[in-house]
Amino acid sequence: MSKFFLLTVFMFVGLMQYSQAQMELEDTILLEPITISDKMIKRVSYIATNYIDRAELQSTSIRDVGEFLRRIPNVSGIRRGGSAIDPVVRGYKYSQLNVIMNNGIKIEGGCPNRMDPVSSHIEAEDIENIEIIKGPFSMKYGPSFGGLINLVSAFPKPYEKFEIHTNAMLGMESNWNGKKIHGSVFGGNRTVFFHVAGGYRNYGNYESGSREGIDTVYSSAFLKYNHTAKFGLSFSKKHKIILSWDGVHGRDVMFPALPMDEKSDDTHIYSFDYQAERLGPFIRSLEVKLYRSDVYHVMDNSHRASFSTMQMTTDVDAVNTGGRTAINIQIGNHGLQTGIDHENIQKDGKRVGYMSMMGTTSKNTKNLWLDALIRNTGFFAEYKTLFASYEIYGGLRMDYNQATSGDTLEIIENGVEYFNETGSEYFNLSASFGITKSINPWLEISLGLGRGTRSPNMLERYIKLLAVGYDKYDYLGNPQLKPETNNEIDLTLQISKERTGDVYMNFFYSFVQDYINANLLPSSVITPQTPGAPGVKQFYNAGYITSKGFEFGYKSPDRHKLGGDLVAAYTYAVIPAVKKYITNGTEVVDDVEIRNDALPEIPPFEATMNIYYRLFKGNLVPRLTVRAVARQDHVSEAFYEPSTPGFCILNFSANFKINRLTEINAGVTNLFDRNYYEHLNRRIIGTNENLYEPGRVFFATLYVNL
Amino acid sequence: MKSKYQYIFLAIGAFFILNSCNKEPGEDIIPPPETGQIRLQFNHFVDSKPLIIDSMMYMNAAGNPYEINEVMYFISDVILHQSNGSEKKIGDWKDIHYVELDIPSTLTWEVYDDIPAGNYDSITFIFGIPEEKNISFMYVNPPEDKMMWPDILGGGYHYMMINGKWLDENTEEQIYNFHLGIGQLYKGDVINYDSIYAFVQNYFTVGLPDSDFMLEPGETKEIEIIMNIESWFQTPHDFDFNEWGGAIMEIQPAMRIGVENGFDVFTTGYIR
Repeated sequence: MSKFFLLTVFMFVGLMQYSQAQMELEDTILLEPITISDKMIKRVSYIATNYIDRAELQSTSIRDVGEFLRRIPNVSGIRRGGSAIDPVVRGYKYSQLNVIMNNGIKIEGGCPNRMDPVSSHIEAEDIENIEIIKGPFSMKYGPSFGGLINLVSAFPKPYEKFEIHTNAMLGMESNWNGKKIHGSVFGGNRTVFFHVAGGYRNYGNYESGSREGIDTVYSSAFLKYNHTAKFGLSFSKKHKIILSWDGVHGRDVMFPALPMDEKSDDTHIYSFDYQAERLGPFIRSLEVKLYRSDVYHVMDNSHRASFSTMQMTTDVDAVNTGGRTAINIQIGNHGLQTGIDHENIQKDGKRVGYMSMMGTTSKNTKNLWLDALIRNTGFFAEYKTLFASYEIYGGLRMDYNQATSGDTLEIIENGVEYFNETGSEYFNLSASFGITKSINPWLEISLGLGRGTRSPNMLERYIKLLAVGYDKYDYLGNPQLKPETNNEIDLTLQISKERTGDVYMNFFYSFVQDYINANLLPSSVITPQTPGAPGVKQFYNAGYITSKGFEFGYKSPDRHKLGGDLVAAYTYAVIPAVKKYITNGTEVVDDVEIRNDALPEIPPFEATMNIYYRLFKGNLVPRLTVRAVARQDHVSEAFYEPSTPGFCILNFSANFKINRLTEINAGVTNLFDRNYYEHLNRRIIGTNENLYEPGRVFFATLYVNL
Repeated sequence: MKSKYQYIFLAIGAFFILNSCNKEPGEDIIPPPETGQIRLQFNHFVDSKPLIIDSMMYMNAAGNPYEINEVMYFISDVILHQSNGSEKKIGDWKDIHYVELDIPSTLTWEVYDDIPAGNYDSITFIFGIPEEKNISFMYVNPPEDKMMWPDILGGGYHYMMINGKWLDENTEEQIYNFHLGIGQLYKGDVINYDSIYAFVQNYFTVGLPDSDFMLEPGETKEIEIIMNIESWFQTPHDFDFNEWGGAIMEIQPAMRIGVENGFDVFTTGYIR
């Protein structure tokens, strides 16, 4: 497989060079007035950063933000259903990633099974850009352990004189009969400006690719709608405030890989932003942000076979309230951003089960969280300077983290406290340092050192008996978990040549201390509460793990009609010692220690190649995408993780600018209807069957901008 | 030009040096075990012979011809008593074991616990589930979940279900469900859910006769536990299906007979 990829890389680079040389000889009109920017492999400073703007988001059909993020090298996703794919960056997931909205808004997902990761609380059509910083290097938006994903939505801006604009989008997809529509109105003048928008998407069940002529239909339908209203007021050129309200709603969102489906999810996000610029000779800007995100999530098993014997309903209310203030100071070559941030997470949730017998019904009510509260207050500073041909960066972050819960659960067996004292507080220190050396105008080399510490989240601290992990087990929180720390070194090479394009290589090595893992508990201590769960696991600090890998990217010069890019990424993660339980059926009969076991849910090596050609002065751009994913054999023995076969899929799309106002994007994904699944896809609940990806999908999206 | 490549090679070299720092695992010295393991094997007899199900071939002490279709039950808190007075309670991994005739894997309990080597005088266990552990919804998966005992009758789980048929006084086949679990006390003579005023914990401790054994370090000892089903219906009380009917889980006096007859239901088979 690796030989195949190497061959592909060399052939692709060779092809690009040859074709561009031919075109330069044959066609002297090379410089087009329109530039299409592809920023899949952009690098900012010394850290691996990916930046995706609106143009790129519109160049493809997006039904889910998490699904789009999987296109970025070393960003994967966990699929549990048709939507809400949960992002994974370099093997780090959930709270190991700092996923935020609009430069600082945090959302506490309601669902313990992660039906609603943060990225599901913002619709793709509302996003203006996405920034991904890999590694523990970002200090200014909260604790960052494995990476930062910043989803920035469209914000209103002032206009010199009153203007009003509208955007509209209408999209359709075959296979799961998907329909989506979105519209926005924005405008204003120098003093008052606004942006209002709304969207609706309704998708049915999708079919997998063809397996011996048979497609599998998964219960994966979903309905989502959203609305947003943002109003700005600029009382001078230097000062403005923006008030915003976002609502995102889900109904009957199916998750065949989870024990329940989402009945409803209602999210409301309120924020207040104050921005001031050029307040003095050294103060470039001042930002203040206050927000509140409120998620109310209801799920049940009414669409499952288990409903006939046991009816289960779970509802969770999660509120995150917080804010940040930051000041940017620039003195000569020295730039400093410093400030404080705070978040206050409250979570309440209960599960109700009913079981009928002899004409009577037994009811069981248990809390998943009860008045659970996490407070995190942080101070941060990021410093940057230029010194000769060096760019030097330093960052520091200090967090005070405090957690309490109203739980009365007490599990003490044989002197071991499994769940008792719920309060905890930690002081965490994170720091980063980076240096970039410009060797010459086309070659840069960067070294980054980072340490990011994150405190355990609501789930890891307080969850009570739900199947929230990779496997089928119920999980129990551990209020006395310690924070985990990622110590990482990144080495980056960047070659930028006008004639040949950009090459980017990043190597990283992570040493994670107090890694949070989960350990099986004896049934004499606790039994599962989720039908199908064979036992209960509890989170614990498992010592250290290591992770290493690379990202590679090549991007052809923009000045040619024929262009493209190639990205490849790989992560290899190991836990030095972990206990494996030997089972006889569902019964644990023994245990054994596994040395140097693979971490579960680490994506395999993959490479993606895009080739496009600009026709009609760039108004029509057909694009061919080949994505090849290697077999994943480095799998966790302790977690009984199965290998995943490799696959290769082909997508084709075309962007056509009909006129100045109208654009259409159409194409087909999984052109050959391959039947495949990603290594991180969860299995169908109650079975060992994998959840396959959608088969061939034809799509068309129309954009109108007035 | 030379210096440029030096930087590149230096960088790549540094990466591989970092990756080469994995420590080789050392060989652990494993001390000889001072413990052994036990395996409990459950078998079922009637009148000293292996149970034959679905055959109207048995006669109880009250003279009722009967057959047995299903047998399901829990035992818990198994204790191994040593000659020196100390004891080992099974429960490092699980403390309640479910047995179902139709599920062969339940007939063997591979005990996870490390058992100290030595001489053991006897084995005791609780038939059923003790009150503090018998909690509704603690089993949500098959097969144990079907043992649920309605909350209105006291909650938790059945201790035992023996289902079968008997021939009544008119030699007509009747279905019986000889179920034991938490009993109820009713106000007045009428069995009515609304008149329940108290519950009775019917679980009891069984002393397994002739269950002494010696466990060598590193040894796995298999102990056969036999349920003599006919004993549920005799000694000290003869249980008459014609008197109590086929369903007894709401009739505490009938369950009481079962409990009091239960003291000699279990015997030890082989220990090897």
